[in-house]
Amino acid sequence: MRAVNHNPQLRSQLFFLLLFSAIIANIFGGYFTRFFVAEIVILSIFAISLDFIASRGGMVSLGHAMFLGIGAYTTAILSLNYGISPFASTFLTFITACLIGLIIAYFIVLLDGIFFIMVTLALGEMFNSWVFTSDYLGGSDGISGIMRPDLAFIGIDTNSPLIFTFYVLLWLIGIYYLLIKITDAPLGRNLDAIRQNSNRISAIGGYTRAYKAIAFSLSAGIASVAGSLYVQLNGFISPELTHWTVSGEGLIMIIVGGIGSISGAILGATVVHIVQHELSSIINWWMLVIGFGFIFIVLFMKDGLWGLLEKIQKKLR
Amino acid sequence: MSLSLNNIDKSFGSIKVLNNVNIQSHGRECLGIIGPNGAGKSTLFKVISGNLKQDKGDIYFNSLNINNLNINKRARLGISQSFQKNSLFLEMTVKESIMLALSHKYKITFKMLNSLINNKAINNDAIEIAKDTGLLDYFDTKSDNLSYGLQRQLELGIAISCSPKLLLLDEPTAGMSPAETKEIIKLIKKLSAKYSIIIVEHDMDVIYELANRIYVLDRGTLIFEGDAKSVKNSELVQNKYLGI
Repeated sequence: MRAVNHNPQLRSQLFFLLLFSAIIANIFGGYFTRFFVAEIVILSIFAISLDFIASRGGMVSLGHAMFLGIGAYTTAILSLNYGISPFASTFLTFITACLIGLIIAYFIVLLDGIFFIMVTLALGEMFNSWVFTSDYLGGSDGISGIMRPDLAFIGIDTNSPLIFTFYVLLWLIGIYYLLIKITDAPLGRNLDAIRQNSNRISAIGGYTRAYKAIAFSLSAGIASVAGSLYVQLNGFISPELTHWTVSGEGLIMIIVGGIGSISGAILGATVVHIVQHELSSIINWWMLVIGFGFIFIVLFMKDGLWGLLEKIQKKLR
Repeated sequence: MSLSLNNIDKSFGSIKVLNNVNIQSHGRECLGIIGPNGAGKSTLFKVISGNLKQDKGDIYFNSLNINNLNINKRARLGISQSFQKNSLFLEMTVKESIMLALSHKYKITFKMLNSLINNKAINNDAIEIAKDTGLLDYFDTKSDNLSYGLQRQLELGIAISCSPKLLLLDEPTAGMSPAETKEIIKLIKKLSAKYSIIIVEHDMDVIYELANRIYVLDRGTLIFEGDAKSVKNSELVQNKYLGI
């Protein structure tokens, strides 16, 4: 698995540029712009959860939409059936998904390449089928009526699109900060080394399975946060969110952005979602254009848009 | 340090690759294992390092039976190795590679929130290891951009970063030019003052120069044990190894 150069400077610059753009769009945009920015931020959280395991440990998951679904359904059930605030639900769902991720990871993280991909795909599809047929989870209709966090006690109305978009942005900032800390810490460096040469990590006494399991578990937790925020943004959840194509779209985002930089994944999510949105309103065959664009990036821009930015950065020096 | 291999057998299908091999190593010494192609040297190396499990026999490291310990558990006990084919982290610089290996020595690999690269103690240790292995001038060079000889040196650098009690070197001069071979011999001589070493090598001159004691393998069986001089003078070794 290829990952981009470790370039903390560009990573921070790109993140702050994207953050600044989101803040500006949120402040000066209308209702739909704000909703659209919130969607991009949530997709970015999902994309960096995939980026983290792909670049740290070399794990490509086609079943991560399952954790998105776990986040969304857990939040829906906790807030509707048990009266737990959506804010607390997001934390609870993070812990739940981390635990489920850890159990799954224990069995699958030592699988290589195609086997790992296929097992995650199978797990994701099993979850999707179960959700579709579960009456408790609303079957194909899903669950609706989920509220946003009630922060009235500090004078904040999260039903305002402006406020809610800032709220999801805060989650993104927190998760980004956590992941860059882990990426640069011994655990992150060992995970990066596993992607490059797992045999050598074993030969110097590394706990390969444990490192990868921690990464997978954390990634599952982060994906579930995206799911939890998604259900709060839209007020409903349906089984489509857990389909494997959602995981596939997440992977497209990180490949377009450049795998392994975190900020690149956010850029990828932003670009792919904007292109999808804009193209689909202009032409019917937008999927074809996106497909060609994706193939172009895979063939000619191996480090995605991140690679392009790195070249620009070098020229500017 | 003590390593004891007792009655080791290993077969692949019907082919017996190691046959009743007994090797003892005590204290700080540089032990050489030589033999012609197909003698079973690499298999023996893998059995010691934990890459392969023997069919029969026992291995003791510092009086502990390590038969059932896999490669990473043996590494944690202090058995470190460099591979015949370079096995590096090609996207990392020399500094990052050595610091990564040092994170295992310092037992901080599960730390999640402190930067590894900014760790001063580990950085100082990495500089020392880079000096020891002649890599200080290439400290910030990507492993992938190093010459083959320098990559071999980095192999050793990573292996010694784990502060090993026993260093296993599998054909450390394989594929090297004569000039590079000279450099790596100098380096291993320097390391042998600090670490117990077992070298598996097909180049007899390299072994003669480095090893205090030599085991000669032929078709999976140990046929001779002695110092460089006695191996050189042994008729049996001459017959079997050199085909004279």
